[in-house]
Order: sequence, then structure tokens, then C-alpha cells
Amino acid sequence: MNFLQLIPLLLFMVVMVGISFYVRREAASESGFLSHYFVGNRALGGFVLAMTTVATYSSVSSFVGGPGMAWHIGFGWIYMAVVQVTAVFLVLGIYGKRVALLSRKLNAVTVVDIIRARYSSDALAAVSALVIVLFFAGTMTAQFVGGARLFAATMGYDYEMGLVVFGLIVVIYTAIGGFRAVAFTDTLCALVMMAGIVLLFYFVLQAGGGYANIMQNIADKHPEMLEPFSGGNMPLGLYFTQWLLVGICTIALPQSVVRGISYKDTKGLHQAMIIGTFVVGFMNIGINMIGILSRGVLTEPLSAYGTVDNIIPTSIATAIPESIVGFAIIGPLAASISTISGLLIVAASSVIKDVFIHYRRKNGKGELSPTRLRAISVVATATLGVVVFLVALNPPSVIWLINMFAFGGLETAFFWVLIFGLFTKWANKYGALFSAVGGTICYCFSQGFGIKLFGLHPIVIGISLSLLFFLAGSFLIKDKENKNLEVFFPGE
Amino acid sequence: MVTDFEKLKQIKKEAAVTGLALLTLIIFWCVAGFGMAGVDVSVFYLPLWAVTGTVGVWLFAIIMVCVMVKFFFKDMDLTEVEDR
Repeated sequence: MNFLQLIPLLLFMVVMVGISFYVRREAASESGFLSHYFVGNRALGGFVLAMTTVATYSSVSSFVGGPGMAWHIGFGWIYMAVVQVTAVFLVLGIYGKRVALLSRKLNAVTVVDIIRARYSSDALAAVSALVIVLFFAGTMTAQFVGGARLFAATMGYDYEMGLVVFGLIVVIYTAIGGFRAVAFTDTLCALVMMAGIVLLFYFVLQAGGGYANIMQNIADKHPEMLEPFSGGNMPLGLYFTQWLLVGICTIALPQSVVRGISYKDTKGLHQAMIIGTFVVGFMNIGINMIGILSRGVLTEPLSAYGTVDNIIPTSIATAIPESIVGFAIIGPLAASISTISGLLIVAASSVIKDVFIHYRRKNGKGELSPTRLRAISVVATATLGVVVFLVALNPPSVIWLINMFAFGGLETAFFWVLIFGLFTKWANKYGALFSAVGGTICYCFSQGFGIKLFGLHPIVIGISLSLLFFLAGSFLIKDKENKNLEVFFPGE
Repeated sequence: MVTDFEKLKQIKKEAAVTGLALLTLIIFWCVAGFGMAGVDVSVFYLPLWAVTGTVGVWLFAIIMVCVMVKFFFKDMDLTEVEDR
């Protein structure tokens, strides 16, 4: 335990808070507080758009659990992880322009705003907001816990100390600066993550006796790590479901779709698709390669290290000189905090815009002054963040369940609702409601009770039933005329 | 591209192209990984599939997105007031 080691991380966090104050000051003169606070006034350029999308998507598990599995499985794990190169170009290519145009027409600042308008359904909007807040809260808690554990394992400080050092600060800067702060800090986080990967790569390679030596060792002692099925550890079904879970269905993640509302022009969007694909591939291949190269550092069987989640922290502690551990830890922690900030601002927008403001207006109450709205939004964002922070201090077991359900749950809830809603006229609110509620419940149920179709991940059940519910609701129940369809499908 | 109808038509075309790109990537991924698993060639101390199925897929995806954006995606004004 050495205080000097903490200085790089503390400086990094100070810069993050500084960014949020800077963009906040810049915002003071601009109109449209909601648009500014929750989508950065739709002004992001291509580079920032790419970085914030990747940084929010790449979580602490991409940096800890994933490469730990790569250490265990081998190149099959990277082959599976590389499907995530789709995570930016798919969502931006399919929804980028669609939601950008619609949000300007509808003055929408959240994905739920667009869903509410498309289906003319407050019930669906309420369900969507609830799903977002619940699953995001679970994911944020897991990010807090993952980051703080990594901090404790590598730096020798307490878990609680780690939570305070990076956890509270991320809540503060997100609450102060809103989406614009999230986008710019995410950009810094993504750059730091990439630098962290290069740093870790170098030191793990050094400590393992060089690339050729490590690979020769793997070929001699663990030849299955060089096979796509890894001697049975990577079944074909796992590849298939990962294509769904971290590939195709990621287009439904609200934290990614909302980024389509936030950019300035289509030139930036096109740039972001290219830059984002480069960055997400670099990170996924780089960090998982470090997991494999850690075989040169951690040579005992898995049981010697506990679980795969301990591989990367142990590898960092073993391979990296004590004097620069403080730098090396920033990369993985940046993955954690950029996901927390990205989710926190979207969850807060659901509470404020989708619930509070909506029902205020519906009840005929007047507009709030920007000053009052700012105070309410900042307090709501901070409160949400602090609640999650407190839960992370002593996480109840149900949080792990929610986190486990979160990724697939969000995809099940929004995949068909968004794709059919934004691209077909026949989709109606009954189909959407049945799909979001029924599909998500079925998904959580099969995940919770370990029910699998042909031994595949429950996302297969979730996404299939969600589709059936959607089709049944849309074709069996007739909706009354939806006046918003003309806005969504002009001239059709 | 002036009217909202034309913009929507273009957006649908781009979404379809993105879907096709996904399909192409899946096929490339299968061939570059599983398809190359039986080839007895080593590159950088690795079997060929472990390079083509990882770095190869990544580079292919980047090139594909560049082609998609350059030849199929069009710039459009997002701020323009609707013209229906």
C-alpha cells in the first residue's frame, strides 16, 4: 500500500470532474436544458460519438472477466469476442439517422420518448422506463463492485476506499455535467483504456519471457487453447448465442440507441461507425490477448487463483512493477466508470423526462424554469447514483440476478419494439407491450430457473418468445388509428 | 434529398445495407475461423484460423464499414424542417 500509487488515479478523476465543470459552464447560456443535459444538445462530433458508444458498451467485465476466460479457454474466446466489432456500426447504421431525425421532429431526448410517440402508449413508455432503470441499476452496481474489487486486489487498499475514490466521483461528474460530460469523459476513458491495453500487453509479455516463449509453452502444455472449440470448452452453441447476445441484439440496447439522438450531422455519424469499429475491435482483441499471454505469468491451474475473475488482477499485480501499477489500473477502472456514467445519465433521463416531466405536463402543470429543472435533474442523477453506490457497499444477492438478467433483458425488451416500430407501419402498441413485458418476463424466468432451449443461452428463448408476442399482439388486436404514424412514415 | 419521404427511403436502404453487411461479416467470420481451422499453416506461432478469425475479422469489418459508408450511405440534413 503506497499513497504515491494513488496519485495517477486521483489526477485522472480530477480531470474528469474538471471536464464536467467545463462543459457545464459552457451550457449555461444555451437553451433547451433537457436536450443539453440528457443528449448533449445533439452536437457530438464523429470521434466523440464513436468513443462514448464504445466506452459505455465496454464494461469492467470486458477488462476482467472476459480476459480471465481467454486465459482459461484460449483463442476460441477471442474468436467469440471479436463478434463485438458489430457493436457500433450495426446500431448506428440501422438507427443512427432514423432516431436523429425523429428526435428532432418530436423534440425527443430519450429512446422512451420515441417509443411513446411511435406507439402512442403511456403504458409501454412506463414499462420501458422501468426496465431501463431496473436493469441499469443492476448493471451499474456490478460495475461499481467490479471496479472496486479490482482496485482493492491490485492496489492493496480497501474495497470501500476504491468505491469512494472512483465511484463517488463518477456520480458527481455525471450529475454536474450531464450527457455532454459523459460523452467527453467517455472519450478520455476510451483513450486511457486503449493506452492501458498497450501498457498491460507490454508488461505481461515481458514478465512471461516474450511472445515466442509464451506461445511455445501454450502449444506444449495447453494445445487445446489453439483450437476453436478449445477441447470442448467452447461449444458451437456458445458461439451461436454470443452472436445474438453481444452481436446482433446489441442494436436494442437503449444506452447505444440514445447515442443516435446525440450527434450533430451525418458526416460525424459515418466517421463514428468507422472509428468505433476500429476501437471496439482493438479493445476486444487486445484485452483478451493479454488474458492469453497471462499464461506466461500465471502458470498454475485455475484452482490456484480461485475464479477466472481473479486472473487479470493477479496478472497485473504480478507482471507490472509497483511504481506504475497506479497507471495500469486506470485503464480497467476507466472501463468501469465510463459504463456507469453512460448508464446513469440514461437512467436519470428516464426518471426525469419519461416519468416526472411527462406526468407533470399531462396533469396540466406549467413548464419548469431551466434553473429549477437543472436542480431537479442534478439531484435526481446524483440520488440515483448514490443509491447504487450504497447498494454496491454491501450488494444483496438479488443485485447479481438483476445484473445477470440485464444485458439479455434489455435486448429482449427492446429488440422487436425498436426494429418493427421504427421500420414497419403494422407494428402496434399491443404487440410492443406484449413483447416487452412478456418477452422480458419469460427471459428472466428461463435465466433464473436455468431453462434452456437445445442447451442454448436463455436469450434464444427471450428473443423468440418476444417475437411471437409481438406478432400475436400486432395482428390479433386491432389498434385505434395512430395519429403519429404520419410523423414516423411520411408519405407512405 | 429534400422531402422526409426521400430521407426515409434512403434510411431504409442504409439499414438494409447494414443488415447485409452483418450477414457478410457472419459468413466471413465462419470461413476465417472454423473454415481455416483445418489448415496446417502457422503465422506468428499461431494456427492460421487464430489470426484470420480474430485480427482478420476485425480488419475485414473495418474495410466493410468504410465501403458501406462511402458507397451506400448518404449525407442528409438532420435539422431541416419537414417538407411533407
